[in-house]
Amino acid sequence: MMDSITQKAGIIAAAAFGVVLVSSAGYSIVSAQGLPEGFKKGDLAPEPSAEMIEAGKRVYFTKCVWCHGVDGAGDGPGADRLWPRPRNFNQGTFKIRHTASGELPLFDAKKPVPGQNDLFETVTHGLPGSAMPPWEGILTEEQRLQVLSFVTTQLVKDRKFTDKQSETQTVLQLTDLKPKPATDESKKRGGELVVERKCVECHGMEGRGDGNAFNLKDDWGFSIQPADWHKCWNFRGSRQDPYNVANIFRTFSTGVNGTPMPSFADNTTVDERWDIANFVNSLCERDSLGNPLSIDPLTDKPKINFVIPSDMVEGEIPTDIGHEAWQKAPKRYVAMGGQITHKPRNFVNRIDDIWVRSLYNDKSIVYLLEWDDRTKSVAEGKLPWAPTQVNIDVKEQDPKTGEEGSIAAHQNNYTVYNDAIAIETAVKWKELPAPIKPRYLFGTNDQFPVDIVKWEADGSLRAFKGTGWDKDFEERDNYEESMKLLKGEWKDGRWYVMIQRPLGNKKDQDYDEDTFFEVGQYIPTVFFAWDGHNGDAGRKMAVSAFFYTFMNPPIPRETYIYPAVIAVGVVLLEGWVLTRRANKKKGKTL
Amino acid sequence: MKALLMWVGALIGVAGILLLAGMILNVVPSSAVRLVEGYMPMQMLFELTCFVAGFAGLSYVMSAMGMPFPRFWQGIGFWAFILLYLKYRVYPPIPFSVRAMYGTVSLVAVFMWVSASEEDWKKFKQPIMNVLDAQTGMNKLLRYAYLVLLPILIGGFSYNAMMPKSEEPIELRTVHPAPPASTKVHGKTYTLQTSQNPYRVNQEGKYDQEYTNANIVEQGMGRLMKPNANPWDDKNQGYLKYVREGGEIFFQNCHFCHGDNLNGRGLHAFAFNPIPANFTDPGTIAQLQETFIFWRVSKGGIGLPNEGFPWASVMPPWEQHLTVDEIWKVILFEYWHTGYYPRTWD
Repeated sequence: MMDSITQKAGIIAAAAFGVVLVSSAGYSIVSAQGLPEGFKKGDLAPEPSAEMIEAGKRVYFTKCVWCHGVDGAGDGPGADRLWPRPRNFNQGTFKIRHTASGELPLFDAKKPVPGQNDLFETVTHGLPGSAMPPWEGILTEEQRLQVLSFVTTQLVKDRKFTDKQSETQTVLQLTDLKPKPATDESKKRGGELVVERKCVECHGMEGRGDGNAFNLKDDWGFSIQPADWHKCWNFRGSRQDPYNVANIFRTFSTGVNGTPMPSFADNTTVDERWDIANFVNSLCERDSLGNPLSIDPLTDKPKINFVIPSDMVEGEIPTDIGHEAWQKAPKRYVAMGGQITHKPRNFVNRIDDIWVRSLYNDKSIVYLLEWDDRTKSVAEGKLPWAPTQVNIDVKEQDPKTGEEGSIAAHQNNYTVYNDAIAIETAVKWKELPAPIKPRYLFGTNDQFPVDIVKWEADGSLRAFKGTGWDKDFEERDNYEESMKLLKGEWKDGRWYVMIQRPLGNKKDQDYDEDTFFEVGQYIPTVFFAWDGHNGDAGRKMAVSAFFYTFMNPPIPRETYIYPAVIAVGVVLLEGWVLTRRANKKKGKTL
Repeated sequence: MKALLMWVGALIGVAGILLLAGMILNVVPSSAVRLVEGYMPMQMLFELTCFVAGFAGLSYVMSAMGMPFPRFWQGIGFWAFILLYLKYRVYPPIPFSVRAMYGTVSLVAVFMWVSASEEDWKKFKQPIMNVLDAQTGMNKLLRYAYLVLLPILIGGFSYNAMMPKSEEPIELRTVHPAPPASTKVHGKTYTLQTSQNPYRVNQEGKYDQEYTNANIVEQGMGRLMKPNANPWDDKNQGYLKYVREGGEIFFQNCHFCHGDNLNGRGLHAFAFNPIPANFTDPGTIAQLQETFIFWRVSKGGIGLPNEGFPWASVMPPWEQHLTVDEIWKVILFEYWHTGYYPRTWD
């Protein structure tokens, strides 16, 4: 008797605990039918026809098999050098959906309608920030539906898209939900909600994806990183429309299957979700007027301007980023790719852009470099090579390793080196007839060397001379003393580094190994970046293309005088024409 | 019959103008009517022809309806249309200097058109003369407005032109520079005129251009493999087997820049300048011999002559990463996947 009572009490207690667990986020919001707000029950789509599936096989084995593999297990020839790895279709786990967390995505081989066909949209627009390209314009609509018919019926093995017993569809009614205007109030509330709902625990206090950068794993056990809200063009679900708040709303409502990103549909109202989406959207990089950056349709990344203008300031260059001079200085997006030219190649670079500003005065030029890096990396102990060494022993990823040895499996398991950044400028650039430059990778040879200024997270700022991609750097005498590190700070997933260097003159510098900066000239400039937690060191790094540093000259007086003279000239010309016409008419009528 | 044709023309003209206006004002996404890759010049010429036909129809219909469009505004409007079309429709964008050239040429053309006959010319210049003479109140107003606005505008433009600017210098690069006569890779010298891809072989292992050309992917939308020529078939011998091996190498090394569809839009492509080559463009590998590709792949960007900008190209010298056999197989795959035949010497 006693036993049974305690047993019952135990069950009740357990049940109560369960209830608490389920509603642990505080409270849950469900509509009358027990569905989260904004969702409706949907029907499973009919099975695609056998012809569609057969035709799709042909598409798959021409285009997809190379990464996704013969059995769709995400283990094609390209897989081991990619991170994120190509999708393993077998489990039927798909990230970007309109369906509730855990459900299969929407796919109907007869309905290529945006908002009603998740997989079709993924193939159409690709998954930015991964190797999956947009297939629109390459495969026809029909071919895209065919290949998906093949994938969903033949390669998804653990689940069945048409099985009414085991599958349900609870569909987010995104087209019926009108976005809430992105007012300051809405964004403010969103900003509070992301803290309250613990978004910041993973995405970081500033939303740069640095909150939980080491421990997150996907369903297959590979490291995964929370999204950086400041780079909306890299959102997998951005559908080539990165500043569209509805995409964020959708991801937040449905979660990302196979990843630690849950659905927040059960514990936020639709209204709250719009606030959060508005807030997250507002964090994405914008231009100085607050407008979205223009996105290049060929790359789906911000458009690049290859000139980095440097404005003149009187007196000392301010070291405070909040200073008016820095706020007014134009900011340039410098795109970074992996160094894939020489060994060891960097197939996965975790730094894909830097934001650069510059100011100068009569003696020095200062670069302000800012870039997002989820992990602050400082090497423990002394590095096993000299700072000048280029040909260091860092291994390149083998092409065929199997999952265990793949780049994805290595993430967060590399030996940690220093985060670092370098600015490379051409030496004696004036002697090279345009467009000739020293080679982007550490210079051409002794005749056309480059000036490399490298900062590392251990606080060092060094100056080297580069004479070729495989030549060790040479130390430059005295130059390091004339440089100054004005700032080197990591905060909430972003590095802020400010480097001051002399403009250069023949008295204090060496013309043969230091770059001399001149006002109004285009000075070839390349940027390198290393992420210590990616095992980046030596040539394993991220590189930019050639940019130009351009020191804006002060406006000459002629700029004001000549236009006035020209305007007066036009007035005289007008008088002449009118008089002539009048005289001619008089002559005619007389 | 003629009237009907003209009506159709007018409709096309109006639709075209609305579409272009929509694109300029960003109401219609510029991708609404896609420029098909590789066929851009043809498509542009076709579109312009449609526009011209449309304008002719529009002008005819308007005068038939009793509201003739003055010759003066026709001329100016057409010129403005050309400028806007070049700026907003043509993609990738043309640099300003080139657009200025086209603009000048079309201005001359418009002048030739409006001054084709004495009568036309009179019609054209009539509105200008009216303003100069200022017989009516409206024209008087216009004349004074011009008197004031012209100096201000011209002064403003020259101020703008004189302001120091920092536009990116234009650098013209030769994409396919002349190759050397021979190239030495992994210690062996290959004469470009006589070398052959050793994997371009039939099932019996004999060099067979015809057989391999018959088994590449089909041209046309999607560029899919021939239904009975799947490189992933385990029973393959010869060509298709090597295509698959080449594909594996491509997707372990090359797709990072040249892209999963070989169109130069790989994962890292956005960061590089010059941009990676687009093999699906009929102007790249389709125009070149296999041995040229062999030289370019083996020696990479650093092996280019100066007109190819060796300092800026990130193309690896693949002899540092791949064996000769692997390079030939990748080339084989590139031609298979794009559906192009390599050029031959004869």
